[in-house]
Amino acid sequence: MSTITLRVKTAPAFEVDASSLTPAGLAAMPRATLERLALRAGNDTVPMGELFDVSLSESDKNAGDEPPTLVIEGDSRWLVRLGAGMECGMLRVIGSAGDYAGAQMRGGTLAIEGDAGHFAACEMRGGRLNIAGDCGDFAAAARAGEMEGMTGGTLAIGGNAGERLADRMRRGLVTVAGNTGAFAASRLVAGTICVAGQVGEHYGYGMRRGTLVLAHAPATLPATFVAGGRGFDVFWALLVRSLAKEAVPFPRLAPDRLPLRYAGDLAVDGRGEILIAT
Amino acid sequence: MSTPRVINGTVIDDTFAEAFPMKATRLVITAHTPTWAHHAANTLAGFATSVIGCGCEAGIERDCLPDETPDGRPGVSVLLFAVSTKELTKQLERRVGQCVLTCPTTAVYAGIDAATSAAPLSDDAGIGSRLRFFGDGWQISKMIDGKRYWRVPVMDGEFVCADTVPTVKAVGGGNLLLLGEHIDATLAATEAAVAAMRALPNVILPFPGGIVRSGSKVGSKYAGATASTNDAFCPTLIGLSAKSELTADVGCVLEIVIDGLTEADVGAAMTAGMAAATALGRSAGVVRISAGNYGGKLGPYHFPLHRLSEGIEGSRLP
Repeated sequence: MSTITLRVKTAPAFEVDASSLTPAGLAAMPRATLERLALRAGNDTVPMGELFDVSLSESDKNAGDEPPTLVIEGDSRWLVRLGAGMECGMLRVIGSAGDYAGAQMRGGTLAIEGDAGHFAACEMRGGRLNIAGDCGDFAAAARAGEMEGMTGGTLAIGGNAGERLADRMRRGLVTVAGNTGAFAASRLVAGTICVAGQVGEHYGYGMRRGTLVLAHAPATLPATFVAGGRGFDVFWALLVRSLAKEAVPFPRLAPDRLPLRYAGDLAVDGRGEILIAT
Repeated sequence: MSTPRVINGTVIDDTFAEAFPMKATRLVITAHTPTWAHHAANTLAGFATSVIGCGCEAGIERDCLPDETPDGRPGVSVLLFAVSTKELTKQLERRVGQCVLTCPTTAVYAGIDAATSAAPLSDDAGIGSRLRFFGDGWQISKMIDGKRYWRVPVMDGEFVCADTVPTVKAVGGGNLLLLGEHIDATLAATEAAVAAMRALPNVILPFPGGIVRSGSKVGSKYAGATASTNDAFCPTLIGLSAKSELTADVGCVLEIVIDGLTEADVGAAMTAGMAAATALGRSAGVVRISAGNYGGKLGPYHFPLHRLSEGIEGSRLP
């Protein structure tokens, strides 16, 4: 299978919609077509050849064995909606990405080796989004007016997350190796969020169901969560085993060491849980 | 019958076992200790000898070590077979609900991996999706590694249960008939065969101890009875039944019924069973090995004893 590499020539001063840059979508295109491909930028369009040096390379492996791969080299904060709606393949960004990276993504892998902007993985449906650095607000959340945030897949954040992480999330897994801003897991419908560092204030606000795992004890606990609840050993063992392939410290969680459990948010008759590793 | 095969003095009839398509699934039941996993599995697989009267055929396949189970606890894998996915789903709901949900510390998982199953996949059967209502609104659904589980609050904590389990197109009704001089010899040979067959994966022997003494034929002289005693193999009917296939030196016949996930699994189990029984041989009172069929017209799977016994040590044609 061929690998397409897009090397940023000069970063433009405006945002460019990169949602059409999916590995599967570009895989069959010859270089000349790729360079002429029009990318939306506000009310205008820009040929890809003006923004990137395009190169193609062939893999030795059989085409059926390897998923289509697209590599974007260089700082790409001006590229919004990178990997949005992506269904398969591998999209690797060597640098940082703009807003809406992996929005409504359905499959495949999007690996951002720098930071991501706001709304990363918002309304994500499946696949995996790795962000090596930090990400902005509303990661794995819902866009304004939408009822559901992330409903599937995995978002792994290597650094810190902004505010409203996983707001209205319904399904899937979010791991944060660093800290989160305020209102993490707010209005959570379901799903699992794991935070290795500290959570900002008002975490779990309006949480209906779902699981928020904290690797470290927070400074304060929400007043509308009730302590207690034991006997969830089997679920904890299943969850911990599933986190074995995620970033440190989550693989270090011990299946036989039950965390402290707090249930809520009682302000909304919620039955979510905050699990604090001990 | 044509030319018989003889292994260690035991005659292998030139006949075949006839088996039928069934729907099957594997459950992995885990618990705090192996003892409690076995309590649940034994209860679930109880009264599941024949689809004719029990709705399904079920049995313990093997014990699972903690590193083989999803939650890292000791477990037991159980295979269940029924005539349709609808019936299998009904039996699963009833049996898991009454026998596993009720058993302290247990959890239930799907034991068939859809990606690697050698048996053709069929529909999914719901377990947790049905039993969750026991939670009365307190149940929690969790997706972990792409699989949905239900956490139902119970008095010892939580009952964790797979939402659905895959079912496969399987094979039921493979069989062996062991004909011995007397009950001691026949039981010993059949028990040896059962032990060898149970060491194999993907098969169960659903009858008590893996053995059935009341082999049946289709139909009866009485209206309304769909099956009746297999008079051709009843030693008390030698000389009475015109269909008798027994000679005067046979004093006892026992049958082993085999359900397997694939045709190859059933065949392998039958070979293992014949090898174990013939290892004891004629000197131990094992006179003949035969199999039950319906003339080959009812079941699509045929297991010829001569082909399956070809590789057994000591095998020869007289």
